[in-house]
Amino acid sequence: MTQEPQLSLDQLGTGSGEDRLSFRLVLKLLGRCIPLLRPVRKHLLMLFLGFGTLALIFLPVGLWLMDAFWTRVLEGKPLTGEQAWFMMLDPAVYAAGDALDPDARRAVLRRVVVMSVGIAIVTTPIGMGLYYYQVWILQRVNQILRLEMVDRLQSLSLRFHADNQIGDAIYRMYQDSAMVTQLIDVLVLVPVQTIGRFLFVLGTLAFFNPWLALAFGLVVPPLLGLGAWYSRRLRVGFRNAREKNAALTSRIQETLAGIKVIKAYGAERFELERFEAASHGAFDAAYHVRGRLFGFFNVALFWVTISALVLASGWFAWKTLEGGSLAVPFLGFTAWTLGLYNAAKDRFSQGVGNLRHLVRTWGRTQDIAIGLDRVFELLDREPEVQDTAASKPLETVRQGVRYEGVRFRYEPDRPALEDVSFDAKVGTINAIVGSTGSGKTTLLALLLRLFEPQAGRIVVDGEDLRGFEVASVRDQVAVALQENLLFGTTVRENIRYAVPDASDEAVREAARVAVADEYIEKLESGYDTMLGERGTKLSTGQRQRLSIARAVLKDTPILILDEPTASLDAETEMKVLRNLAEWGKGRLIFLITHRLSTIRRADNILVLRDGRIAESGSHDALRNQPGGIYRSLVEHEEGMALAAAGGGGS
Amino acid sequence: MREQFEEAEDIGNAQTLALLGRAFRYVAPLKGRFAAKFVLLMVSLLPLLVLPFPVKIVIDHVITGIPIGEQPIPYPALIQPLIDLLADLSRLEILLWTIGAQLALVFLIGAVGTGGGERDQADAWLASGHDQATNTENAANAGFSMASGILGLFDLRFTIRLTQALNHHYRSLLFDRIQSLPMTAFDDERIGDAVYRVMYDTPAITNSIYRIVLTPLASVLFALLVLWVLQMQFGEHPVIVGSALGILLVVLLFTLPFSAALRKRSARSRKAGATTTSTLEEGLSNMLAVQSLGGEERERQRFDRDSWESFTRHRRQMAMGMIVAVTAGIPGVLVGAYAFEYIAGLVIDGRITAGDFSLLFSYFLIFVFALVDAGALWIRVQETAMGLHRVFFLMDLPNEADPPDAVALAPLRSAVEIEGVDVHYPDGTQALTDISLVAKVGEITALAGPAGAGKTTLAYLIPRFLRPSQGQVRYDGQDIAEVQRDAIRSQVAFVFQETVLFDATIEANIRLGRPDASETEVRRAAQIAGADAFVRELPQGYQTPLGRGGGKLSVGQRQRLAIARALVRDAPILILDEPTSALDPETEQALVRALREASRDRVVVVIAHRLSTIRDADQILFLESGRIIERGTHAELLQQPDGHFRRFVELQTRGAA
Repeated sequence: MTQEPQLSLDQLGTGSGEDRLSFRLVLKLLGRCIPLLRPVRKHLLMLFLGFGTLALIFLPVGLWLMDAFWTRVLEGKPLTGEQAWFMMLDPAVYAAGDALDPDARRAVLRRVVVMSVGIAIVTTPIGMGLYYYQVWILQRVNQILRLEMVDRLQSLSLRFHADNQIGDAIYRMYQDSAMVTQLIDVLVLVPVQTIGRFLFVLGTLAFFNPWLALAFGLVVPPLLGLGAWYSRRLRVGFRNAREKNAALTSRIQETLAGIKVIKAYGAERFELERFEAASHGAFDAAYHVRGRLFGFFNVALFWVTISALVLASGWFAWKTLEGGSLAVPFLGFTAWTLGLYNAAKDRFSQGVGNLRHLVRTWGRTQDIAIGLDRVFELLDREPEVQDTAASKPLETVRQGVRYEGVRFRYEPDRPALEDVSFDAKVGTINAIVGSTGSGKTTLLALLLRLFEPQAGRIVVDGEDLRGFEVASVRDQVAVALQENLLFGTTVRENIRYAVPDASDEAVREAARVAVADEYIEKLESGYDTMLGERGTKLSTGQRQRLSIARAVLKDTPILILDEPTASLDAETEMKVLRNLAEWGKGRLIFLITHRLSTIRRADNILVLRDGRIAESGSHDALRNQPGGIYRSLVEHEEGMALAAAGGGGS
Repeated sequence: MREQFEEAEDIGNAQTLALLGRAFRYVAPLKGRFAAKFVLLMVSLLPLLVLPFPVKIVIDHVITGIPIGEQPIPYPALIQPLIDLLADLSRLEILLWTIGAQLALVFLIGAVGTGGGERDQADAWLASGHDQATNTENAANAGFSMASGILGLFDLRFTIRLTQALNHHYRSLLFDRIQSLPMTAFDDERIGDAVYRVMYDTPAITNSIYRIVLTPLASVLFALLVLWVLQMQFGEHPVIVGSALGILLVVLLFTLPFSAALRKRSARSRKAGATTTSTLEEGLSNMLAVQSLGGEERERQRFDRDSWESFTRHRRQMAMGMIVAVTAGIPGVLVGAYAFEYIAGLVIDGRITAGDFSLLFSYFLIFVFALVDAGALWIRVQETAMGLHRVFFLMDLPNEADPPDAVALAPLRSAVEIEGVDVHYPDGTQALTDISLVAKVGEITALAGPAGAGKTTLAYLIPRFLRPSQGQVRYDGQDIAEVQRDAIRSQVAFVFQETVLFDATIEANIRLGRPDASETEVRRAAQIAGADAFVRELPQGYQTPLGRGGGKLSVGQRQRLAIARALVRDAPILILDEPTSALDPETEQALVRALREASRDRVVVVIAHRLSTIRDADQILFLESGRIIERGTHAELLQQPDGHFRRFVELQTRGAA
């Protein structure tokens, strides 16, 4: 049961600059993405069909027109009967004799031009439409991946979020996930096309002259060597560039989130320097990999392939110089001529060009793989708290909640809660008291299953909480948080955050219980007032009441109020508590607070000290406990009150 | 206040020009490097002039075997001396020398002929997705060269550095501006949007500059070179040149009407991207609320919607570009077809060979593409214009930058005075009315009152986080309206209601208050704030990294660190906004004693609901609805029988009983 959390595991990779991948792992990583294409497989099929149909219809026509142009127009040979028919020309004139006269050639030329233009006008928009479709499909795939990442981020525990930067998550979501759109390109299209063409050229050359094929094949080992030599370096560089850019994003996000303090402490220059350092770091990393590594890699590929082409061309020229006939006719030639020289050179050029493209793509694939690796690094993070097949929904809470010897630690050597046991029944108000950092909030976070106990258990109506579905547990609990987290939407939407379909009356009623209705109605647009990103338009006290309203609206058997009234003045607090007591009948209420006037109303008080329950009982019982912590607390406060009353009376 | 950040969906052509002009002004510090890039561009293009010749030499003098000097067309004077070197050599020797020269060219400039596969252009473009942000990531680090080989590599690296230098410059500039927006102005702005502007909108500036200066220049130069080669090999052909110019004209005429539409699409795409960033950022910042309130499904839907919207907007922008391309492309194809037919006609007429056709036509195409590239200048700028707009818009918001005549300020000696101050929010509501107070060095001034009474707003006036709409705030009699911002801020330590900690060590977080504070001073401040004990219990003590937002600490612990930060600043004015709300009574009492101690040579202003925190204040100001309605010491205020403060105290201590 005991499982010590390892903090280092919570942090996603940053600034490591190591290479965790290999040729095999890169391919595996790409392969892992293939299931992501499943939801769009019908569209992909349609797309390929579309491009295929386009090619099937227009490629033969194009080839036919090419032949008509090169052989008939430029060389003056007569058309075939079919060509003449297709071009609607008289076969008796155009498909007869040994050669076409200039006028006939011009007439064929005109047909060729008109038909080519016609094809271009028809196919270009269709091609663009298909491309648009392709982009849509790939965006869909990217969106699916982004949503998977959001789901994962939301299911990871708060401990994970405390250790990881928001900017990093934004970067992963945008830049890293986008690499999935390259999948079809690097896995299918480029390899199939380039290897196919390369093999075709190799075969043609081999059939004609094995020595030529061998010479051609000699280009392959140095290229593969280059690819192998650079793969690891590129991966390290690409990972570093991505991590540095993610860090820059985090830098900006964090500065803006803390802008108040930065301004108040005149730390703008300091933050600007930090930003500039991060920006330099990101640009330097990008320069290193793009300019130094990848730039040189590409140039080196060109050197190898084109040097080979130059040498081969020289050899072709030499053969042509010597003349001589060919053993096997090649490309329609029987002897080394200028024409064959040109043709052989073109073939060779095409072959090595494809090879270069393939290896270059492999280089870029390293970056894609690093991006995807960063995506999977997030997706592979197992949530600490998750449902199992045996989990069942928690329908309601009838009796109460019991903690049995619960232990929890954020870090192995720093106990947050130790052997906590207590019983809280439905229909009671339970106050949790204790000094700062004594574990009050953690205690209730466990009830929400934001974390799991590392020892002991929490029991609801006699059953272990861990046996219930996480979402259903949270559905039974409403919380008003210590930090009043609001969202950049309307007041109404903020109140019904947990119950999106709540009626306006229900929202208003919840606001009334939280004593928020009055000030809300005074806002410029009432319940429809837009709040800033963090609800910044309202004062802390107003926000606090909104988050109470939000909890009330959820209408659950368990309500947790974590310092809900710390920023309220005494009068408002009184009203809120009175309303809550009324509303809370028949529910289980947990209350974390320092205020005596609030605590006093509780049926049961749990006093926490250093993560253990030091005292528990009713106000009267604890108050009369000699030497008790609670007693000294009460005496202190009452002394204060006496002094105040005394001041008033004198 | 959000309206402040809403901007127009479109800007006119004139404004686009103005924006571009402005983008240029910022380039001034880098003009030397731009000039160098221009020279590199020329140098990388010039070798193209000699590229056709090695192949020609091999064909004419090696394969065909025409002796040098007897070929029908003489070589250009420029390369004649090189040709002369080959004059007396055998065909094989000529071949070997030519191969050597070609290899040297491959190595040096990465080109051996004019054809596509025989010429390489260095670039560092990496894979990107189908969205604005990933495309921009490439643009931020863009580098290119018209050459390859050693020269291209150098040019590429030089250009990447130039691009980055520019982008770094703009990003820093914008970041600095955002930091100096007034605190209240930024309150409502969305952090994600600002992140988006700094990361993904600023590269639009660099992009525009390249598009306006370098790309067209390179294209026109390239076009002229191709024209030169073309005429040298094939003589004058006005029809070919005329057709190319005709296509240029078509491109200009047919694309210009689309500029507004393109801008609009680009604006929407960027805006949708920024919204998505905000949604994501907000959801992640509020993870505690999301998880504990079961908001996962909601956040997911919100992200799903926004993210898909940004994809859609990007796709629409792309579609608009395609529509422009087709509209301009069809007339272009017609003119091109005319040139095609003309060139083929030359073959039929026997004026050129069939082999020449492909060469001539490919020259024609290269020439056309270069011209079109230059002609599409204006239309391509549109895609980045809205990025420019979004960047400059934020830069132009009223900010706290000091006017040139801002005055310095001596350290506070006697008192902070506020006199007759009114504060209006930008939406017109009045937050404070006729506030006057004197907070003296050596005294504690407490602000009390119901939630929403304006206590925090009042406290914001003192460090000039807010400027009064009327009245004055004075330090030792000096109105701070005209004082340098840093001079004011250096005198104030402010503890906010909501604690803000940064992802750094505990020590660094405290030291933010005063970067040059000694270790002893940091510990001392932590002790007074009641933080030292728990910090020392941590395994790494003061060197413990806090993680984002100090997420591993409890709220009370974070509050104590924030107080330590303020104390270490050792500033003459100390303002605490609800410093004790999450503190237990013991810590609170220690803090109150420390405040008393600190107030001896300082102005201390404290906002609190807790009686125990404010009881000992030298004066208590009780606020309600933006006015100070009662003032005096604790004892004085309690003596007023129907006093608001008295009622406030009674409720606090006795509860509803």
